Amino acid sequence: MRECIAEYGALVWSLARRLTRTPADAEDATQEIFLDIWRSAGRFDATQGSDKVFIAMIARRRLIDGLRKKTNEPPMDPVEALETIAWSDPGTASEISHEAEQAAKALKELRPEQRQVLELGLLHGLSQSEIAARLNMPLGTVKSFMRRGLIKVREFMKIDAESVSARV
Amino acid sequence: MSESGLHGQPDDAMVDLLVKQVIEGLSPAEQRELEAFDALRAGEALVELEQAAAAVSLVGLTLEEPPAALRAMLQRRGEELIGANNVVDFKRPSAARSAEATAAAAPAANPVRGDAGRSGTLGWLAAAACLVLAILGWLRSPPPAAPADTARLNPPALQTSPVPPPAPPQPPTPTEARAALLARSDTLKITLAPTKDPAAAGVTGDAVWDPATQKGFLHFVGLAGNDPSVKQYQIWVFDGKRDKRYPVDGGVFDVPADSSEVVIPIRAALPIGEAKAFAVTVEKPGGVVVSALGHVVALGAAS
Repeated sequence: MRECIAEYGALVWSLARRLTRTPADAEDATQEIFLDIWRSAGRFDATQGSDKVFIAMIARRRLIDGLRKKTNEPPMDPVEALETIAWSDPGTASEISHEAEQAAKALKELRPEQRQVLELGLLHGLSQSEIAARLNMPLGTVKSFMRRGLIKVREFMKIDAESVSARV
Repeated sequence: MSESGLHGQPDDAMVDLLVKQVIEGLSPAEQRELEAFDALRAGEALVELEQAAAAVSLVGLTLEEPPAALRAMLQRRGEELIGANNVVDFKRPSAARSAEATAAAAPAANPVRGDAGRSGTLGWLAAAACLVLAILGWLRSPPPAAPADTARLNPPALQTSPVPPPAPPQPPTPTEARAALLARSDTLKITLAPTKDPAAAGVTGDAVWDPATQKGFLHFVGLAGNDPSVKQYQIWVFDGKRDKRYPVDGGVFDVPADSSEVVIPIRAALPIGEAKAFAVTVEKPGGVVVSALGHVVALGAAS
């Protein structure tokens, strides 16, 4: 228990801080995420991905629920502020997880506007409609960018897994 | 990646729904729409999209340690949960132990994948099917009253932890009841800000309130302990349907000296028509019927 908190506490807390509005919200979310993690621990499958991605999946589900409950509140930040929190250093990704490193590589392959759509949706918790409004972009285009971007990331993760598998 | 996931011939409309599910969640109508698609294919594709989204969410993440008080709270809640339900620890899932033997016997069946390889001792062959089936179960049946995510990950029929014998129902703790309220979409949540009172220095907190059931909780981290024989904290609810000069008494409470975090049930003395704000004052033991609101330590209003 203590090891689990020590190992993943910073990860969960940092994700929660990124996708909640206040420290109090982040604290609530972190508690709920850890309860989910402990209840779901038996389902972790190392052949399906790293522990960090498993934790991030659980965290995102809980955080998205929280975000949707607050849809009537004003957006967290103006666009100008959001732009300053963009992905910049894939090197930090490799320190967190190998899949994150692959995701960073995939993102570099995307066009800037595609990358921005993924960033607003996945890092800042905006809905696709909110992204369309912020970027003055048709909703269909946002959906298309989001879909292609996620599939591109998934392809990178798969390619890497296969290449590693072939070497062992 | 399987042919029945994102590859092969996925239905565009299905993938659009799944992407929306991953990014922002689906409305009940959209969930019903999703159920019209092949559940196996949808389940596998959803897992793949969620993994991609999770990996992206880790890019550029600056790791920050949680506050000490939160860490202590996590420890306590985890111990409560594991003690109550025999849930296995993530670091040593019981299913993993049996799977490790299987993995050792058939290494070719377990491709090493970056961190997954480094975490290989946690390997667990059956989980892929469980995860997909868990999602399918979620797709096929409406979520129960429990928080949606937990229910999705933890359908009773797929529970991999040892199932304890039925225990007599226990009333939820304030923390659990508050969490249940927070899981509901119609619950009001208000951040409580500390005043300059020394007892409130560095305090964070919030109030949650369910208008339908007239139940709610205050949650504080860092509120100073009190001596009940000298003074007590008292909750006040400002009702938009009543004279705002006379907030409704929400009950008195104490904070033990060694508690960094407390969750306190709100016991409103009168029905609350429209909760507009919450405040906490310091009063004489037993509280007061009408507060002068002269010694407020925390307050917050609905936006």
